[in-house]
Amino acid sequence: MLLIRCPYCEQDLPELEFAYAGEAHIARPQDPSSVSDEEWRDFLFIRSNPRGVHVERWRHVNGCARFFNAARETVSDRFLATYKAGEPRPDIASLSGEAR
Amino acid sequence: MTSHRLPNRGRVDHARPVRFSFDGRSYQGLAGDTLASALLANGVHLMGRSFKYHRPRGVVSAGSDEPNALMGTSRGPRRFEPNTRATIQELRDGLEATSQNRWPSLAFDFGAINDRLGSLFSAGFYYKTFMWPRAFWDRVYEPVIRKAAGLGVSPSEPDADRYASRFAHVEVLVVGAGPAGLAAALAAGRCGASVMLVDETAEPGGSLLSEPSVTIDGRPAWDWLAAILAELAALPNVTIMPRTTAIGYYHQNLIGLAQRLTDHLAAPPEGAPRERLWRVRAGQVVLAQGALEKPLVFDGNDRPGVMLAGAAQTYLNRYSVKIGDRPAIVTTHDSAWFAAFDLAEAGVKPAAIVDLRASVDPALAARARALGIEVLPGHTVTGTSGRLRVQSLRVNRIENGKVGAAREIACDAVLMCGGWTPSLHLFSHTRGSLTWDGELKAFLPGEKTEAVQIAGAGRGLWGIAAALDDGASAGAAAARVAGHDATAQGHAVTVDRTGSGITCKELPTDRDPARAKAFIDFQNDVTAKDIRLAVREGMRSIEHVKRYTTNGMATDQGKMSNLNGLMIAADALGQEAPQVGLTTFRPPYTPTSFGTLAGYHQAATFEVTRKTPIDPWAQAQGAVFEPVALWRRAWYFPKPGEDRHAAVNRECRAVRTAVGIFDASTLGKIEVVGPDAVTFLERMYTNPWAKLGIGRCRYGLLLGEDGFIRDDGVIGRLSEGRFHVTTTTGGAARVLNMMEDYLQTEWPELKVWLTSTTEQWAVIALQGPNARKLLAPFVEGLDVSEAAFPHMSVAECTVAGLPARLFRVSFTGELGFEINVPARHGRALWEKLMAAGQPYGITPYGTEAMHVLRAEKGYIIVGQDTDGTLTPDDAGLSWAIGKAKPDFVGKRSLARPDMVAKGRKQLVGLLTDDPKTVLEEGAQIVADPHQPKPMTMLGHVTSAYWSEALGRSIAMAVIADGRARDGETLHIPMPDRAIPVRVVRSTVFYDPEGARLSLREETP
Amino acid sequence: MSLTTAPAVITEPASTTRISLRIIDPAAVGAGLGLAFPTKIGARTVAGARSVLCLGPDEWLVQAPEREGEAMTEALAAIGTTLPLSAVDISDREITLALSGPAVLDLLAIGCPRDLAQLPVGSGCRTLFDTVQVVLTREAPDRFHLTVWRSFAPHLQALLDIALRELATGL
Repeated sequence: MLLIRCPYCEQDLPELEFAYAGEAHIARPQDPSSVSDEEWRDFLFIRSNPRGVHVERWRHVNGCARFFNAARETVSDRFLATYKAGEPRPDIASLSGEAR
Repeated sequence: MTSHRLPNRGRVDHARPVRFSFDGRSYQGLAGDTLASALLANGVHLMGRSFKYHRPRGVVSAGSDEPNALMGTSRGPRRFEPNTRATIQELRDGLEATSQNRWPSLAFDFGAINDRLGSLFSAGFYYKTFMWPRAFWDRVYEPVIRKAAGLGVSPSEPDADRYASRFAHVEVLVVGAGPAGLAAALAAGRCGASVMLVDETAEPGGSLLSEPSVTIDGRPAWDWLAAILAELAALPNVTIMPRTTAIGYYHQNLIGLAQRLTDHLAAPPEGAPRERLWRVRAGQVVLAQGALEKPLVFDGNDRPGVMLAGAAQTYLNRYSVKIGDRPAIVTTHDSAWFAAFDLAEAGVKPAAIVDLRASVDPALAARARALGIEVLPGHTVTGTSGRLRVQSLRVNRIENGKVGAAREIACDAVLMCGGWTPSLHLFSHTRGSLTWDGELKAFLPGEKTEAVQIAGAGRGLWGIAAALDDGASAGAAAARVAGHDATAQGHAVTVDRTGSGITCKELPTDRDPARAKAFIDFQNDVTAKDIRLAVREGMRSIEHVKRYTTNGMATDQGKMSNLNGLMIAADALGQEAPQVGLTTFRPPYTPTSFGTLAGYHQAATFEVTRKTPIDPWAQAQGAVFEPVALWRRAWYFPKPGEDRHAAVNRECRAVRTAVGIFDASTLGKIEVVGPDAVTFLERMYTNPWAKLGIGRCRYGLLLGEDGFIRDDGVIGRLSEGRFHVTTTTGGAARVLNMMEDYLQTEWPELKVWLTSTTEQWAVIALQGPNARKLLAPFVEGLDVSEAAFPHMSVAECTVAGLPARLFRVSFTGELGFEINVPARHGRALWEKLMAAGQPYGITPYGTEAMHVLRAEKGYIIVGQDTDGTLTPDDAGLSWAIGKAKPDFVGKRSLARPDMVAKGRKQLVGLLTDDPKTVLEEGAQIVADPHQPKPMTMLGHVTSAYWSEALGRSIAMAVIADGRARDGETLHIPMPDRAIPVRVVRSTVFYDPEGARLSLREETP
Repeated sequence: MSLTTAPAVITEPASTTRISLRIIDPAAVGAGLGLAFPTKIGARTVAGARSVLCLGPDEWLVQAPEREGEAMTEALAAIGTTLPLSAVDISDREITLALSGPAVLDLLAIGCPRDLAQLPVGSGCRTLFDTVQVVLTREAPDRFHLTVWRSFAPHLQALLDIALRELATGL
């Protein structure tokens, strides 16, 4: 069971309070009717699934109820950063440096 | 006094005898014994039969690494445990133990024939043996193997014990209460850090319990131990937990502990759980698990009476048990010499010390000779004799690398020691790296991934002094990280019997090694030649060797066997041990009962059962319940003598002809409030909402972004910016999560908020032609007449004096109302309506009748008639899509090529040719039942019922191009026949005009 | 066993009016209600018999005695005419149990993964007990209020009863 830092509660809290919610920074197109079938397919289904740093969404569902984003090393399962929804993606290169 | 108990020594209580039984025979032990030490005290070495060859086996160790002495233990009915390690199980009055893996008796076992047929069961035999004929796979091999496989007997009845679990948070967790762990706990505890010290055995002390002659800080070891334990016990920030095994080491210093609470008690207190699982989050972990003694690998090293030298020393010094009268010692390490000396000083005369090393410490040899023990350096052991107990040892001198002539040494026990290997299991769980120490011939902890310190023998430091000092530094370091001002204090130790030794592969022999039964893994019956065979047959990776031979795969996870297996595999491969590497250790460290892992989740608390406010009434009425998501719902209300069908038919008739009352409280409810509420609903649901008037309701259909139906429900508008949204019972949490996701992350600018009100309201549905007549007298502040409050209306009013939200909705096709009142009043209102409804024929109905009634009307149930692959059009719900809306969740997907392609499965009605035949839900549908198998399946039945109103069966199904097949005959193949059915385009079987929804009659 | 020596006891405190309040501007709403709205998640302020607990960045749990419930609802409705907000009565959604006694932290530790020893008196949190979402507030060093959705209460009560018997054994 991981400890996850909720960027809203500003505490490290047990994973049991959280729910995973898929890859982060995949924005719903502003006007879905204007995108091609291929673009819409990619939005719906295509995910990066990296070995390494993954930027992903979590929800503090049994806590403050907020969705937020996290960068996690998928090999070591370590969180490198968590940040509020809407905030920019952190610099992955510098985070992976820290991970090593 | 039992035959092998020595008086006045050890840590057992000689004044407190304990009665127990083994294989039906009664024995006496002492308080403080383990089951194994008590049997040894009675001269019993034969404790089990091996897994594969059914060889007679005795106890080998004195700890959790024990591979042989596994027994069934019981304290009466429904309290039987197989594979209890006799070396861990504390003796208690009335303990019943039985040996395993033998028939008819332990001394004479029919299965031992396998031992004679050993050549058939070499490594990988099951990959080679059971290949042909094919027809034997299911009928012969599997049943026979299943019967023969496994160790012990599974309990056949539910466990009568309770189990517990707990979370804990500490600054420093110390695993192992030997000298290193005690010193660590002391260093951390004295400076105020919160410390948890756990040990898998009954008594803290570790190796000190087997080394009473050591002195620490000027005191005998056991006096020092007592003082230290008293000091730790007095510290409020320190918790000592004996009988607690650290079973797994997980991310971010989460440690799983299995604590045994009552297995040692003759009479456990009422309400006491048997075991408790702890999940401990520790700031720092100190692993002080010590080292495990390795057996030596030689022919016949598994005879009862052959055991680890350190175990014999423990039985002597801790339990006051002599393991024999004339033991022989076989070793490659100094430590076994000390065991021999302790035995000799206790009056047992060892026959000889056989040491593979040509030169041993002269001081040791001198001491041995002074004690009258024959010393045989530079000798090997090439065999043993004795059927149920070792009788002699075959010993050969090694000269110039050659094995010389043999001689027999008579003995009644053999103490072996192949050196010590640090216990790395928990450290390996963290994926910490291991480094090979060429001098120690051992793997040691390398790079760490967690906040952990390893202290003492666990990192290759031998001796009490080294362990104490290392433990103290580790404890102090851990406390400092936690922010305490800690310093490590040294300890003065005398009579510290450190030593050294060598590690080797199987012992050299003058006999044919292919005929030797030199065991590595006692529990899985793996021999040295099995490892060599595996390498010969092409296994190169140690992981393959492990799986091919099953070495280290038994319940002891190779605690004794891994290193020996590795040394032999490396030799066979012509490589060095570190190149071959070690297999991976995984949790749990020792076998853990399912009960412990389940914790409180058994019996009534197995899982959450949600109950509505009206549930107690239904229970009192004798309702039969069914689980729906986590809820239990009244399924039907049988009257005396009624079966389910009779009850459901009666309930359906009542709704169609009089009035039914239904507990709909489980429906999900979400209050959507804010100035942007209508905008939000426009974007979430397929339907248009902007023009929905205040006080009106509409059916809402929710899709996933992929365009498939996710949920549905009725949504009522209470004011400009306040909607009462209902969801399916099972979908409530999912829908709220999905809405929050869009609101928080896609449309954070919308000023609207979502609040679950599922449990705020008890919901009572009144359905049937008499519904209004019954309800109207209870309603204040609202005209519920057909004209003033038509179908699909909602209003806030007072019902029976209670604040209520009243919906004019129907999921039955009848005139219907759903009354929402604050949950605490639900049951009272229900009872009032029941009383007042008697003249109107009021009948409570359950979920089964509800399902039938809605199916008669063709209303879908999301998740039953849909399965996550149906679009609104597939389900015949195109009418629910707001065509003019520019966007809603899932809209874009409805235009994807696959979603508009021909051949999609569509929801249609099915009528059986025989009106009495009710189809099976889930049954497949084909065009031609005589086509060759595998048949082309066109779809499946989603709903099927007996319709009391129509006097025939009805069904819904999803079928490829279903609507175009209107009137077509298809077939449902069943095991005994094929059932012909006619496709009907419409799923509305009853009252297609909907006239009954709006019955106009005078309100009384 | 007397109440003074029991490791923990469970009682049901008087029910209150409970409103889930979702707002953008806590200062403005607080001024209108005469209650200082805490903005740190988990913090609670108490004014007389009323209290407000911050559960999320835009979520507060407002509690008042039942006799003040109607006045509270009306006051919020009035504020809602000028400020965007969502006030939803959840008084019947959940029930509250008072857990107290010297072993109350052990009692909570059978189901709650948080380190509640670190929860300051007077504050609270939404978390998990067993598999069920709960709101905990620490009323005193050895007294917590546990609030849970109504339908889950029988399950929690059953677990707590088992745990009380377990604590009484001292094992």
